[in-house]
Amino acid sequence: MPDPANELIDYICKQIIRRPDIELTPDTPLVSSGLIDSFSLVDVLSKLEEVTAMRIPASKVQPKDMDTVNLMLSSAQRLGKPRK
Amino acid sequence: MAPSHLHVSLPFATLTEALAAAPEAQPFVTMWFDDDDTRTFSFGEFRRWSNSQAALFSSHGLRKGDTVILIMPQGVALMASFTGAMLLGAVPAILAYPTFKVEPAKYRFGLKGVSANLSAKLVVADDSFPDEFLESVSLGDQSKLIRVSGVPPPMKDVAAPQFQCHQDDLAFIQHSAGTTGLQKGVALSHGAVLRQLVHLGHSLKIQSSDRVYSWLPLYHDMGLVACFVLPMVYHLHLVMQSPTDWVMRPDNMLHLISRYKCTLSWVPNFTLQFLARRVKPRDREEYNLSSLRVLINCSEPVRAESMNAFTSAFSSCGLQPTALQSSYAMAENVFAVTQSEISQAPRCIWIDASKYQLKRIAVSMEPGSDSAVCFVSSGKCLPNNEARIVSEKGEALPDGHVGEILIRSDSMLDGYYNRPDLTALSLRDGWYWSGDLGFLLEEELYVTGRKKDLIIVGGKNIYPQDIEEIACGHPSIHDGRAVAFGWYNPDLGTEEIVIVAEAEDPAALADASTIERAVRTAIVEELAVAPRAIYLKPPRWIIKSTAGKPARSATREKLLAEHPELRIS
Repeated sequence: MPDPANELIDYICKQIIRRPDIELTPDTPLVSSGLIDSFSLVDVLSKLEEVTAMRIPASKVQPKDMDTVNLMLSSAQRLGKPRK
Repeated sequence: MAPSHLHVSLPFATLTEALAAAPEAQPFVTMWFDDDDTRTFSFGEFRRWSNSQAALFSSHGLRKGDTVILIMPQGVALMASFTGAMLLGAVPAILAYPTFKVEPAKYRFGLKGVSANLSAKLVVADDSFPDEFLESVSLGDQSKLIRVSGVPPPMKDVAAPQFQCHQDDLAFIQHSAGTTGLQKGVALSHGAVLRQLVHLGHSLKIQSSDRVYSWLPLYHDMGLVACFVLPMVYHLHLVMQSPTDWVMRPDNMLHLISRYKCTLSWVPNFTLQFLARRVKPRDREEYNLSSLRVLINCSEPVRAESMNAFTSAFSSCGLQPTALQSSYAMAENVFAVTQSEISQAPRCIWIDASKYQLKRIAVSMEPGSDSAVCFVSSGKCLPNNEARIVSEKGEALPDGHVGEILIRSDSMLDGYYNRPDLTALSLRDGWYWSGDLGFLLEEELYVTGRKKDLIIVGGKNIYPQDIEEIACGHPSIHDGRAVAFGWYNPDLGTEEIVIVAEAEDPAALADASTIERAVRTAIVEELAVAPRAIYLKPPRWIIKSTAGKPARSATREKLLAEHPELRIS
């Protein structure tokens, strides 16, 4: 089973950034570096829920919580509830 | 107030008096995060929370007439802070709270501009408000910033402050929609707000059994006035969720209306189409929308296609045939100017497309005719509200002629806060110049678009919304992700149409030329104008506004930057 960080990185590279020359690590800043548009975060947040099997209350997520894959995963742990 | 206006007897002198009169145990607001995380506050509990916020703000020096900025997430703490400030006779203004999908630079710019103009005595931020945005709050010499908790205080009795407010005193400032940094603070008196609510309550036949559902942000007039102040004044139960949560799971709107048997709601036009497309037929079975007495399409031009898409998707869920209604509203008039007659479906008319484009007049045709376009009425003016249509030169136009919509009412803004220059531009001889275009027919108002967005191609008046709707009708184009604008061609002496649209799937880009041809053909067939250029872009290319709608001018700039050839005719 792929780990959530790799799964998210793979999704962001292939579905959001779509540039083969870009390599991401779990700590690469995404929005603050301009790599991704903040509006695509709705899709990234849905993917984050899927890979962590959590339900994340979007209204409690702040901009800085979504800037790197590691921040996303720790936000999911902090705010999310296991899916029923 | 215009001399012809009827006298309105107000049930309360101020909004806080209306709150004070609510029955103690009556439920006021249910804040829903999910089915396991929901809390309901009675009017009594809400009053105590408001009193406690008033005491807190007073201890920080907030006094009658001072402005106070509230930057807090959607929820009861924000609402209680709003009424708490009003209890002191202070004037609250709610600003947008940063969500995870906010563009930080844009948010900072907006916050800086809006807070500078308000010159507030007190800025109240929620304790989770990110530190990195604090420096963008403009604080004057006399102002102070405090953090407050979103958790309800111990529900002990705190006496309400005793301030004598008059109905002509300012109640609050709400911001009219627009580019974030240029938002205008609309200053409204208690009397103006109460008069609007009396008129609206009358048109909607509000009953004590009504229950309101809302996902609309409290920093916009529709969320603030229709979905918070109205239920507060009429002592109704409100079921509310955060706009950010709604965006992630729009079908929760249907779940909450079904679960709480809500009767009244307001949504912008795009919501209807969005839900019709997003909620799969097999998932619709679990919803029961039969309680919904009135669902009002408001805040954008009302589109027949969106109304029909929603009705056909959800009539099997018990949606009443007359539930879907329409209204034309603006922050400057507190809220609604018109409201459709709720006992029947809003009027739809078919008019001659070429006369409409060339002569800017609405001439009726047989419904469904090939060369006709359909318009949905936003209804008649509320009592003591008047609309008038004027030409470019400001001359009054007769029925059926398209021009700028001017309004006059007894619930008009006092002015733009601290901006007499902008007030003088928009408010002339008692009439508010809306910048919206439309026509009147048999006293019903039809709103066609924004004046500044209108594209004039060889003397034909083309609304970008019409082109965008046709483009989005193509199955490979993402719904709601197309932008059309005019580009002046000096050789031709006229504007030409340029379109940019997002593909639903990046794979579709391989067929770009086929898709572009199909869109071009559809536009020529429906509008009888040929666009100069159509650009198909990958998903998420178009720039969105804070409200999630395509930002027309920012997208235009992005396209021009990527395609400098457009600048050369």
